[in-house]
Amino acid sequence: MGLLTILKKMKQKEKEVRLLMLGLDNAGKTTILKKFNGEDIDTISPTLGFNIKTLEHRGFKLNVWDVGGQKSLRSYWRNYFESTDGLIWVVDSADKRRLQDCKQELHSLLLEERLAGATLLVFANKQDLPGSLPSEEIRQALELDEIKSHHWMICGCSAVTGDNLLLGIDWIIDDIASRIFTMD
Amino acid sequence: MAASNIGNDDIEDMEFQEENLCSSSSSISDTKFDMTIGHIEDIIMDDDFQDMQQNFMEKNYVHFEDTEENKFIYTDIFKEYTDLIEKFIEDKLTARMPGFVMSEFTRQLQTRQNELSGEIFEILLTFSDFISFKEMFIDYKAEKEGRTVDFSSGFVITPCSQQLEISSQNLEPPTS
Repeated sequence: MGLLTILKKMKQKEKEVRLLMLGLDNAGKTTILKKFNGEDIDTISPTLGFNIKTLEHRGFKLNVWDVGGQKSLRSYWRNYFESTDGLIWVVDSADKRRLQDCKQELHSLLLEERLAGATLLVFANKQDLPGSLPSEEIRQALELDEIKSHHWMICGCSAVTGDNLLLGIDWIIDDIASRIFTMD
Repeated sequence: MAASNIGNDDIEDMEFQEENLCSSSSSISDTKFDMTIGHIEDIIMDDDFQDMQQNFMEKNYVHFEDTEENKFIYTDIFKEYTDLIEKFIEDKLTARMPGFVMSEFTRQLQTRQNELSGEIFEILLTFSDFISFKEMFIDYKAEKEGRTVDFSSGFVITPCSQQLEISSQNLEPPTS
């Protein structure tokens, strides 16, 4: 580890949390990020690279990284694993056709060594759409109960209305905080 | 406490000496640590460092765009940038301080975690901050493409005496 990396890690003692938001394309990752940040969500186009936002929430500094989810972009995800405290996996609950693909991508992420210590929050997004599956069905389709390696929770939400976004974020912060910040 | 022991029996005197030795050896490492920090300050203020930064931006700025979304290539360039700076500082320190070992220094840094304050640490931290890195490139690109506001064009500098003449001339036409 080089000088700059060491300094940076030392400086992160103040309640700073790094969240990585991933999921298939069109799941609503960028919309969640912008909605949570109180920004306009009318003109969001598919993410071809990545977005970063630093948000202050409940005295925590959240660094949220949102990386594009198209198939051709997924090989870049690995470049953003380092130092991740929490993984937010976003699911389009109305896209039943791709739930299998969604499950496989999630489970292969959970095998990544650099994500081993991260808390997992699954956002079953688009609950506002008619025909979307409730979070209980997403939980079964993604076989979340098989996950023993990570603390996890699933939360039905809507990025458009903002429903439950806060609930999910608060849970992931609490879980991370109980792991990290009580050690001092 | 040690000073009050002076004049007591021999054993007490020995203790006093031990303490003295102890504190003097720790101040040697303090001095070395402070010297290294001083060198780092000099190194990053030096023209060589600025040139290195300038060359790096010149080589890479074309990839940057002033949009909210980031391209994946920024991450590669960022990695290259921090590696370059780390190597630059390490090489210069080794040249200035024979026997300098970076891993030893970073170990000292970690034990002194709570004493690290000052501008130098703030500067070093910005080198590893992605947002600052991106802004630096966006600014550089804007400057290259002449999109920065040139405040100097809004000013005309004229000597005081001449300005007085102009204003007095200006006053004349209305009266005539």
